[in-house]
This record gives sequence, C-alpha cells and structure tokens, in this order.
Amino acid sequence: MTRTCPHSEIIAIKVSDLTVRYDSFVALSGINLEISKGCFVSIIGPNGSGKTTLLRSMLGLANPSIGKIEIFGKSIWDQKKTLGYVPQRFIFDKTFPITIDEFLKFSLRKGTPVSKIDEKLKEVDMVDKKKKLLGHLSGGQLQRVLIARAILNDPQILFLDEPASGIDIGGEKSFYDLLDYLNEKYKITIVMISHELDVVAKYAHRVICLDRKLVCYGDPKTILDAEMVKRLYGEDVAIHQH
Amino acid sequence: MIEILQFPFMQRALIAGIILAVLLAFLGVFAVLKRMSFLGDGIAHASLAGIAIGLLASLNPLVIAIFYSVIIALLIYVLEKKTKLSVDAIIGILFTASLALGVVLMSFKSGYQPDLISFMFGNILAVSINDLILMASISVVVIIFLAIFYKKLSLVAFDKEGAYLAGINVSLFEILFNVFLAIAIVLGVKILGIILVSALLIIPASTAKIVSKSFKSLIILSIIIGEITVLSGLILSYVFDLPSGAVIVLCGTVIFILVVSFYRVFILKGYNK
Repeated sequence: MTRTCPHSEIIAIKVSDLTVRYDSFVALSGINLEISKGCFVSIIGPNGSGKTTLLRSMLGLANPSIGKIEIFGKSIWDQKKTLGYVPQRFIFDKTFPITIDEFLKFSLRKGTPVSKIDEKLKEVDMVDKKKKLLGHLSGGQLQRVLIARAILNDPQILFLDEPASGIDIGGEKSFYDLLDYLNEKYKITIVMISHELDVVAKYAHRVICLDRKLVCYGDPKTILDAEMVKRLYGEDVAIHQH
Repeated sequence: MIEILQFPFMQRALIAGIILAVLLAFLGVFAVLKRMSFLGDGIAHASLAGIAIGLLASLNPLVIAIFYSVIIALLIYVLEKKTKLSVDAIIGILFTASLALGVVLMSFKSGYQPDLISFMFGNILAVSINDLILMASISVVVIIFLAIFYKKLSLVAFDKEGAYLAGINVSLFEILFNVFLAIAIVLGVKILGIILVSALLIIPASTAKIVSKSFKSLIILSIIIGEITVLSGLILSYVFDLPSGAVIVLCGTVIFILVVSFYRVFILKGYNK
C-alpha cells in the first residue's frame, strides 16, 4: 500500500539552490526540494553523502554557503519554535546528576505549560521514570526521552538523525511505530535520516536520496528499486518489508 | 568563637566569605557542567595584570582587575568562536601572557609589595569596607541573575543545540557566563588569592556532584559545601594565624576527601549488597 502525504498543499520546508561548503569541501550542491506538511520523509544515501548536513541546514544548525531554506514560507530563525530535533548521538556527561524531569523543564519554551512534560513523557511511555537520572538510561530509553524533548513544545516539524542507532533490535519497531503515531495523530512533519531501507519503505511517504546532490526524491515504493539502491550504495541490496 | 566576631576585619572577611561562597559555588556548578574549570584558573591568573595596572596607576586594583578579567573572558569567547584553537589552548595563551604582563608591570614598582602578596595568596585583613560594598553589590546582581536564568544557563551548558531550538540565545548566555565568572573570580581573589581562588569554584561543585541525585540538589549542596568550606577556613586561618586562601582550600579538600570516602564506603557498598 502506498502512503501519501496528508495536507500536501501546504509547504512545510522549501530548499532552494542549497550548497553547503566546509572550507573547500563541498558537502552539498544545488539542492532544490519541497516537503509538504504532515509528510513522513526519509533521507538516505551513503556515508558522507550530506544527509546530516542537509538536516542540520534545515534546522539552522549549519549555514548554507549558497541558497536558502524556508520553513512555512519564513526564515528558519523566525520558525525555530516549530522545529523539534532528535540528534544521532546525544553526547553528555553521564555522571552529571540531572533527572529526566529537570532536563525537560530546562527545554520548555516560554509559554509552554509544565504539564506538557508529563503529557509528552506519557506519549513515549517514560512518565513513570521521570525522576531517573539521564545518565542511568538505556540507549532506547534515552532516545524516547529525546523524542519527548523534541515534541515538548509542540513542534510542527520533527527532525531525526538516525534515531534508532542507540536502540536494540527489539525496541526498533515500537520506536518507529511511535514516530508513525506522532505523524498520524498530530500531523507532525517528520524528516528522518535512516540507513534502514526496509524501514524507509514501510514508514516514509517520501524519500530523499542524496549523494552530495539530490539523486532522487519521491515515493519510496516507486523510486527505491534495485538500480537506484545500487547507484547510491554501489552494491545490490534487497529491501524487505516487515 | 564570639571573640572572632568582635574584630571588624573578621566581620568583613566573614560577610565577604559568605557571599563569595554562594557566588562561586553556584557558578562552579556550570563550570563543572561545561568542563571549564580551567577557565576560572586562567582568569584568576590573568587578573594579575589588572591588579598590577591598578597598583601602578594608584587606582583600585580590584576594580581594574575586574575590567581586565572581563576583557580576557570576552577575548577567550571570541577566539574560541573565530579560531580553530581549543578553548584550553586559548586560556593557556591568554593567562600566561597576562601573568607575564603583570610580572613585568610589577617590576616597575620598587620595594616590597604587601598588596601584591595579599592578592597572590589571599588575606582576610585585606578586605576593606569599600571592597566589601563592591563585592556585596556585584555578587547580589550576579546571584539574582543566576537564580532567574539558571535553567537557561544549564541547558546552554548541557546541550547547546537543544538550547538553540528551545529559543535560547546561546551566544548571549555563553558570553554572560564568561563575564560573570570573570567578575566572581576576581572578587574572590582578595580572600583566596590568585593562585587558589578557582578551588572555591571547583571543589564544592565537584564534591556535591558525587552525592547529588538531581540538578537542584547539586546546586543546593554545592552552595552548602561552599559555605562550610569558607567559614571553617576563615575561622581556622584566624585561630592558627595562617594564610586564609590556603586554609580555605585545604578545608574544601578535606570535605571532598571525606565525602568521597563516605560515598565509597557506605553508599556504594550498600548499593552493591
């Protein structure tokens, strides 16, 4: 069954002629794309293809050398409050005594009620652990807390950079189901980097294929064929749906 | 004990110590969280140049040292952002350069320099009423700022990207932290001395970190340990006629060792059973 983007008439993210350079190294070149509101989009590509650079540019954490990115027709700075982010690796001092509850309290935006903390922790099934120290959590629990933090201020777009990398195999399905639930229930636009092509095929409405430039963008069922996978990864990879 | 409080110099030293313990122990939590304990040490040493300028120009050395240290703290921030150097390398360069400048400037002043010695090692007799007013007024402003914005400061220190997305002006809070740390360190120089002042920044927060079960308890415990350290150090330095800075640091170290030992022997053993 093909999944289609809801509310596709509203453009959540518009990337125009994006080029990102680090000194003389060109990480991304000439990217043009639009992501509709409510869409679940995956970014795929080999290592060093610019996936994280694209994601960080959309968040305003990496500066474009050329081109621009608009969020709901405005600058990223103006729309920062609409963005949530789950990083690939959340590096912190695990010996530092900070509870989940405190971590989320610090992340509350002005005007967001404290009651949101329990509400969001319930969504990720972590409310009973809110007094636990952040450094005492497993990889999967930490990812859930990071998702709760990312959706705490009710963002309209959620960015995730290989979010399942710290989760064991058993926890992966429920994690992706949670993202699917957030996308369905709150119509949050989701932009997720993933190396798991079967996950992309199952959950994403759209897939962005990168290799420092835009290689393809569209419905994963249509464009993720063996030829495209070979072009991106240089080898034959079979995609199995769960 | 009552006898100690009868001396005006001791009253001033105790009031200054109580205020500084809150200020430095509170700021120390963020310095430890940011793994920037060396910043306090660097700024303290760099302040020698400001003190030397003040002494040479017959101006209040404490005030000049505050201005000088704030400039160094801002310079550290700018160089960290604009160069590829690590922050510890930048601090190392600026603190040794300022220390060298201070030594060169002081060589222009002939004879024994009691002021300089008290700035180097701390002296409870050195806290004048003007110094106390300056310390108290600046400290109150900084403590109020910390109390209001500690959540934002914590997130900036803990997770810059998360802070940015939570709508916090990360650069502004980083600059303010550096500036307030510089001011607090220089204020502490009178009692603890250039060489030892950063201990009051690091030891209470590090000791509290071992036993704290939340960020809130870390801040409260850090301040309590800071107060016990300063008060016991000041009293012992008076009773045994020893340099105040050194005795305060030794008191803090003893508390640290006791807490680590207690934690390892009782808490961890109990946990492993």
